[in-house]
Amino acid sequence: MKPILEVTDLSKSFKKFKAVDKLSFTIEQGAVYGFLGQNGAGKSTTMRMLLGLIFPDSGTIAINGYKFNNSRRFLLKNIGAVIERPDLYGYLSGWDNLRMFATLSGMSIPNKRIHEVLEIVGLKGREKDKVKAYSQGMKQRLGIAIAMVHDPDLLILDEPTNGLDPQGIAEIRALVISLSRDHNKTILISSHLLYEIEQIATNMLIIHKGKKLSDGPVSQLFNPDETLIEIELQPEENIKTVVENSQWYGKSVRISPSKLVFKMNPSFTPDLNRWLVNQNVNVLNINSRHSFEAYFLSITNDTATTDRAI
Amino acid sequence: MIRMYCAYIFLLLNGLAFQSSATEAPELFEVLRNKVLSVHDYTAKVKMKINVNYMRIPQLAGVLYYKSPDKMKLERNGGLSILPKKNINLTLRNLIPSGDVLVIDAGADTIEGKTVRILKVVPTDDGAIVLTKIWVDEARMVAMRTETTTRDEGTVIMDLRYDKYVSFALPDNVTIHMDIKEYKLPKGVTMDYNDLPDAKNIKKVKNKKGTIQISYLNYEINKGISDSIFEKE
Amino acid sequence: MIPLLRIELYKIFRRPRTYISFGIVTAITLVIQLAMLSDGKSFIGFALQGVNEQFDIRGNILNGYLITYLILQSLLIHIPLLVALVAGDALAGEANAGTLRLMLTKPISRVQLVFVKFLGSFVYTVLLIVWLAIVALVLSLVLFGTGDMINLKSDAFVLLLQDDILWRYGLAFLFAVLAMTTIAALSIFLSAFTDNAIGPVISTMGIVVILTIMSNLELPLFNLIKPYLFTTHMIGWKGFFDDPVPYAAIMRSAGVLAMYTVGFLGITMLYFNKKDIKS
Repeated sequence: MKPILEVTDLSKSFKKFKAVDKLSFTIEQGAVYGFLGQNGAGKSTTMRMLLGLIFPDSGTIAINGYKFNNSRRFLLKNIGAVIERPDLYGYLSGWDNLRMFATLSGMSIPNKRIHEVLEIVGLKGREKDKVKAYSQGMKQRLGIAIAMVHDPDLLILDEPTNGLDPQGIAEIRALVISLSRDHNKTILISSHLLYEIEQIATNMLIIHKGKKLSDGPVSQLFNPDETLIEIELQPEENIKTVVENSQWYGKSVRISPSKLVFKMNPSFTPDLNRWLVNQNVNVLNINSRHSFEAYFLSITNDTATTDRAI
Repeated sequence: MIRMYCAYIFLLLNGLAFQSSATEAPELFEVLRNKVLSVHDYTAKVKMKINVNYMRIPQLAGVLYYKSPDKMKLERNGGLSILPKKNINLTLRNLIPSGDVLVIDAGADTIEGKTVRILKVVPTDDGAIVLTKIWVDEARMVAMRTETTTRDEGTVIMDLRYDKYVSFALPDNVTIHMDIKEYKLPKGVTMDYNDLPDAKNIKKVKNKKGTIQISYLNYEINKGISDSIFEKE
Repeated sequence: MIPLLRIELYKIFRRPRTYISFGIVTAITLVIQLAMLSDGKSFIGFALQGVNEQFDIRGNILNGYLITYLILQSLLIHIPLLVALVAGDALAGEANAGTLRLMLTKPISRVQLVFVKFLGSFVYTVLLIVWLAIVALVLSLVLFGTGDMINLKSDAFVLLLQDDILWRYGLAFLFAVLAMTTIAALSIFLSAFTDNAIGPVISTMGIVVILTIMSNLELPLFNLIKPYLFTTHMIGWKGFFDDPVPYAAIMRSAGVLAMYTVGFLGITMLYFNKKDIKS
């Protein structure tokens, strides 16, 4: 796969606040790249730099091998973006908004394409209504329509589900999946909620306080061998000795009289449970979740959930 | 009373000096005044130029209506009529006292190569005119110049030149010299544009005299004019 | 750039707010015209006090030409507000509404965008002045008729003959367009520095009011800086109603206004081209 976007040592400060700190990452063609971090981690600043809205202090951005600084207008023809809430011209209709931004995209776009895009985002039939009469979800979808009307290869979506109800979130998620699968778009999508994009992302990047914490393919980040199995027990004082003398000790990450946590493939859970029963340990509850999720929660909620997570 | 007394002294002094004059001064004045009074009304095409330091007015062309004793109007085909106030009217009629007067011979002078007699005319009533000096061309029996001192409007000098209408004592060209009061409006009201430093260098002559030049192109005399023409708009 | 300009004009003239200005111009004009219809005679009497002592001025003094002049004079303070209402909104309004960032993710040049915003405001300004010419001049002439125009200056009484006036208004309105274009450039300049829409409108008005006061106050300190204030030159249109017309001064005023306009626009372009869009 060839990289569509390469970011190297990108940094940006606002006065003394370091918003983005030496951030490097690469997005390959066709990927749905989840961009994770808590609010204020630097996601929006990074995305705005990718779009030329904010100028980096240092570092480079290259798209399809071209340096962004040197070819901003040329490269923007191949990018579509929704940054935060898509604020549109409320006194104009959905069609007028879309038509206008289509003209600004620097190529001639036939009305047929506009109808097509309205169809894709599910706004067909509502295009004549004034945008101020739209729901937040409809505005969000119109924003995505504007981002993709000129058929760019790369879509940059900054928190596209923010402020939406569960149904709206589900609609946007389905739309993103379809854009990737049916329309072959490379998508960079940010969120502060892991569960929102873990189902749609092929790759993930987590940043915290402007710095990269980890990135990689979802298959690697969500390696099943690193699932956390949490077992609640009726308190058992000598449980530590029991586990230490068993084959399970190597997989254990936490041992206390009322709770055991193992990091392993969930397929071992029945065996583990059977062994515990055989040892006369009373199991109250078994819970499993992935260590990556726990890790993410530990960052985004800082200290509050760290203890619960591990 | 004092004026009467002064007038007698004038009469006395001048009477002594110019006893040899051909026509007596009062007679001359009466003949002149009667000639002037014989014009009851006229309509005349005129060109008028007002030269007053604070006024910037282009030459005005129009029709001047006059009806004795003091009605006057400049008709400019929808344009504005600008005339001096009544007391300094444009006609000789109003610069010559109309009531009882004392006339004193004040000697001779030369205007445009012509020898003219100077008459000093002092009204004996309490009108607007205090004293009028008249330079009379005896041959044509017209006033070539008047210098009228008024009670309120200062001194008005009128120079008159005659041609076609000399028999009616109506001039073709008149220049009126008058005292001009100061004019000033607050800048905060007018919000003038020209307030740039170099505009300040434009001559600000405190010229207190103004002139009005009138050329009469033709007259229609004593044809009768309705009063309604002079009604204020 | 043409499509960009077309879009800008489309946005300006599809927005209801734009037409408020045309309504306000009409309203102010009508108010002055009505006031003059009912009370104009005493106004004229008051204004001509000094002249009336010695001269008897008769005829249609309160004609359409004079009324138009009075309207223009009193609108001097209001039209900049109406221009700022649109021009001040040009960048800040879009930043505030969030549409600016969407526009700038499209492949358009920021310098071009500033220029197009300026052109859009310029077109609006021209139309506003044309509208003013129609309601002020045409309507006044219909209501009050024609006649010679008296222009009272603080130290002069100027009379213009009725057939010598129309061209002056033509040039005066042209000059007004230039003056208001400077205001538009100022508004856009202020508009680039903030993300809220009302700020540039209020700042523009504040600057115009303060500088106008400085331009009109007779203080030695102010006299020193007056020639450099654009407000001093904004009333250059009045020069066309003097006799003789001070063409040199008017040309210099026009030059100063043009320089301010280019200056405001240039700084805006430089600044906006490097501005981080955080709205």
